[in-house]
Amino acid sequence: MTNSPDRPADSRDRPIAAAAPDMELLRHYEPVIRFTQGEQFFPMDVVRYVQDCSLWAHYPNGRDELLVGQDDLTIDTLVETRPAAFGTVHYLRFIENLSLTESADMLTRQLRLRGRLRNSFHPGLGRLARGGLLPRVVDALFSLSFLLRGRVPAASAAAAELDYFHMRAKRESFTYYGRVVRQNHWTVLQYWFFYCYNNWRSGFGGVNDHESDWETISVHLYETDGQLVPEWVAYASHDYHGDDLRRRWDDTGQVDLEDGHPVVYAGAGSHASYFRKGEYQAEVDLNLPAWLESAGRIWNTFWTQMLGQQPADPFHIPFVDYARGDGLAIGPGHSRNWSPILIDEGVSWVSRYRGLWGLFARDPISGENAPGGPMYNRDGTPRNAWYDPLGFAGLDKVPPPPEVLRLLENNCADLTDRQARLNTVIPEKAGELQSLGIRLRSMEGNPHLAKQHTAMQRRMNALAEEVRGYRREYSENAATLESLNSRLERQRRGVRDNARTHIRHLAMPSRTTRRRFDRVGEAWAAISLSLLLFAIVGLLFLARRYLGAGLAVITILFVVIESILRRAFVQTVSELTALLAIIACAILVIHFWYWLIVGALVSVALFLLLQRLRELTG
Amino acid sequence: MQQRKKVWTKKRPIAVTIVALGILVLFIVRLVQVFHPLLRMNVFENGLGRPLADGLRLTALGAAVLTSAVYLLASLIGMVVLIGFLRVRRWAWVVLMAWTGSSLAVGLIDYFYSNPNYLVMASNAVIALALNQVEVQRIFQIRIEPDDQLARPSG
Repeated sequence: MTNSPDRPADSRDRPIAAAAPDMELLRHYEPVIRFTQGEQFFPMDVVRYVQDCSLWAHYPNGRDELLVGQDDLTIDTLVETRPAAFGTVHYLRFIENLSLTESADMLTRQLRLRGRLRNSFHPGLGRLARGGLLPRVVDALFSLSFLLRGRVPAASAAAAELDYFHMRAKRESFTYYGRVVRQNHWTVLQYWFFYCYNNWRSGFGGVNDHESDWETISVHLYETDGQLVPEWVAYASHDYHGDDLRRRWDDTGQVDLEDGHPVVYAGAGSHASYFRKGEYQAEVDLNLPAWLESAGRIWNTFWTQMLGQQPADPFHIPFVDYARGDGLAIGPGHSRNWSPILIDEGVSWVSRYRGLWGLFARDPISGENAPGGPMYNRDGTPRNAWYDPLGFAGLDKVPPPPEVLRLLENNCADLTDRQARLNTVIPEKAGELQSLGIRLRSMEGNPHLAKQHTAMQRRMNALAEEVRGYRREYSENAATLESLNSRLERQRRGVRDNARTHIRHLAMPSRTTRRRFDRVGEAWAAISLSLLLFAIVGLLFLARRYLGAGLAVITILFVVIESILRRAFVQTVSELTALLAIIACAILVIHFWYWLIVGALVSVALFLLLQRLRELTG
Repeated sequence: MQQRKKVWTKKRPIAVTIVALGILVLFIVRLVQVFHPLLRMNVFENGLGRPLADGLRLTALGAAVLTSAVYLLASLIGMVVLIGFLRVRRWAWVVLMAWTGSSLAVGLIDYFYSNPNYLVMASNAVIALALNQVEVQRIFQIRIEPDDQLARPSG
């Protein structure tokens, strides 16, 4: 790709006057969001949401108190200062507690509504069929963990869906909150999207549900000749941080543009933002203890390097984020357009409400608790994306293109100056060192000069170290200068870096096309774990004497069937055999350790003997 | 096909030789197991004069002959796999690995039921570890390095 360093704007860029008002800037690059068929919640106005909520406080003693009821809560009452003890959590509540009959009623009405709207979701290749048996066991444990953890009640999603539907029916509007930040020669356009509910778990087999959801994307522009030109675009997404969040505007393989507006593919229910449409395998961070993670790393090193296997990741739970982009599209050029609202720290609900924007579900790992606002984390601390939008996208270390040339030239000039200085200093110091050396040699053989000799020796050693340091610095500077000059020359010729070199982990959608055995594989994935447990129960009843052997045979059988259905037979057989070989080796070591030591000693003795004899005979 | 032969002749990893020797050891063990039941029933002295089956049930002689036949079949399959292995065929690697895995599983179950055969267990462990060497997996085309997604040119 060749371009001038501050590349001329092409049709994709649509530059805009740097002096344009903030709202005009935001509208100029506002995104198009493409949702997945079956999505029920879309970006909305927080004022309407707050009017439908009540405000609560959760105290450290476990008590919850209603602070403002649903009829009295407005944005103004929300932001009132409410002193509270450490550990108190303020939170909104969109859906009130539902009785059993109300829950049943909500679920029935939800079904009826979906039938009427014909907006249902088809999962395609089931998520359980995308992982192996072990991840499925971990997944089962994760599901069971909801019995112990706090969670959003099951009918809440249905009630939220109905409430939101009625809000939309009254007045349909799709809101984003825009913010313009100018930092380090960059102009950052931040777009914040508020959803009243995240139904990823209950609606799409995902990790969590929670009331309210805040998502963000940002466009990063630089100024050239009084015009702002887009250079990067960053989308917040699960599992990715810093550099991995952003793509270069001209990376056509990664950034979809519609008339110069970036396209966001929103995850169904999760509303996470993706650059490419597709289905993404999400990973759940299980927060394992450090010693277990270290043990896992050591095992993986042994497993991959000594046994030649693929890295093992047993705790990869197969949750899928569906960002198909086949549903509603909001943004320029579509039937549904944005109602933008400009925000900054001066907007009261942005800066003065530090509580949660939905139910505090008392989930210790926070997955089911509602998020904080755009400016704050769940615990009320400032949100990184708000106070450091450049660092959030890993851009804090990246200058805008027009600055690159100047910074490179400055760096080169500084280093050249330093090299010139070293060119003078090194010969001076080296000469001084030689002079000291000759003086020291002259003192040798004169016992009465012993004290002076020792002092001078010390001085000479220090000077020698200094000269070595200068020479090392000169050599390192020369290498750095060479690379700087080479980069400078490339920049002057207009050669740009590869648009993806900064990305460490590239989010790639998984395959969605069906293959042979997929149906069988899905059925197997759904029933295999229960079948395994039934088989173990059968073994306990019918052949308890052979429990050990039976368990081994059943497990191996299940793993082999699994591998055939997932077209991973060769890899699985290889892994199983390697595992059995390790067990066999351990048994052999336990039984024959004495003979192994004897054998090793004899081998070493023979090796040394042969070596020495070879030396002896020349 | 031609290239595989070339690889074999030029870059034969030591692990492949170890596996071939392991197969030979197992072949010899299996051959002993072929003749052992027949020797126990004095078949070589008395011949197969007595009946092999009594109705639907096997006689002691029948069971011995069947056991020998199974071991003979196993030995023959082992030899075919050895030939395939020496000719660097992918299927030979897969069959050998599956065979070794099954054999190890049976060996371990036998061990836990106080009937260990350490020689077979050790040979199988050596074969399994040797077959899993990265170099061996490569020449048998089991391991194919994934393409670097990030190296793709951008637009």
